Amino acid sequence: MNYAAAMVVRVGVLAVILLLPACGTVNITSTRDAPAATAHPKQTQVNDLLMQVFVHCRELRMFRSDTGYEQLQIDVANDDFRQRNLAWRIDWLDAKGNVIESPMSVWKSCSIAAGGMATLSSVAPSRDGVDFRLQVRRSD
Amino acid sequence: MKPFNSLAATMSAAGLFSLWGCGTPARPIETGGTESITSIDDVDMQDINKAASGMLESLLVQGTLSGGKNKPAQLVIGTIVNDTSSRFDVGEMTYRMREQLVNSGQAAVVTTYGNNPEDATAQDAAKREAFLKGQTSVPGVDPDFSLTGKITQVKREAGNVRQATYTFRLTLTNLRTGLEAWTKVVDVTKQGTKNAIGF
Repeated sequence: MNYAAAMVVRVGVLAVILLLPACGTVNITSTRDAPAATAHPKQTQVNDLLMQVFVHCRELRMFRSDTGYEQLQIDVANDDFRQRNLAWRIDWLDAKGNVIESPMSVWKSCSIAAGGMATLSSVAPSRDGVDFRLQVRRSD
Repeated sequence: MKPFNSLAATMSAAGLFSLWGCGTPARPIETGGTESITSIDDVDMQDINKAASGMLESLLVQGTLSGGKNKPAQLVIGTIVNDTSSRFDVGEMTYRMREQLVNSGQAAVVTTYGNNPEDATAQDAAKREAFLKGQTSVPGVDPDFSLTGKITQVKREAGNVRQATYTFRLTLTNLRTGLEAWTKVVDVTKQGTKNAIGF
């Protein structure tokens, strides 16, 4: 009987320990389940980079604005049980692969709640910008 | 025991001296880079960079400046008020924006316009030149837009944790219609108990 009671207590404690990290995590729902029309195949490369900071790329979209500037949106999801902070920077490249220097290419910070998502977005500094280079650094 | 005490004392002294020498020697770092100091009660360089970048991205995507009569659009930089307790020059933000807008041919900044021009000497010279030619106004100067704004803060505390939100807001006014043509808000929020190195 004592052994059974101890087991119940142990299982209870274990359940509480397992459930505690889930407290405060964000739940996400969306009306869209298909990839965006502007989804980009470079998502895999970005995902390889982001996995090193314990988050991952859900979708990468690239599209040209009405004014002719390339726009970039990277959906980043945090599947961890705790808040994740990261610093990121995007440099734009022209068709020849040269970096387009601009005061718009700066380090920015991003904080993603446990289970939540954030979108890293950027606009090319000139109409010549067709490719990008993403740098990510873990802040926590 | 005496030699041992002497050795211990010497080692302690050496340890203290070596500790004295510890510290972080000055070295150059990337401006606004990830090694920058992050302050809770002050606007940092990386905050200014983020604000300028966000403003520029919005301006380029909206294409407001291309709607001016002049090509490139003539822009007057008006008053941008720093209404925070952090002391910094708002030119840190506006000059970064100007660099991008002017050098990419999006806008030409007029520095000789109004009662409080950026370059009073150039304004005087242009007025004198126009007067000598019998013109009533300075030719070529016909601004399309003016840029004004404000930087504000909201500070809160919980226990020993401090939080500050700095809000950068800019407005572009069409000087021909007097109407707001573009506006953008960029927030920067920082939280912690003390300043830190890196972000």
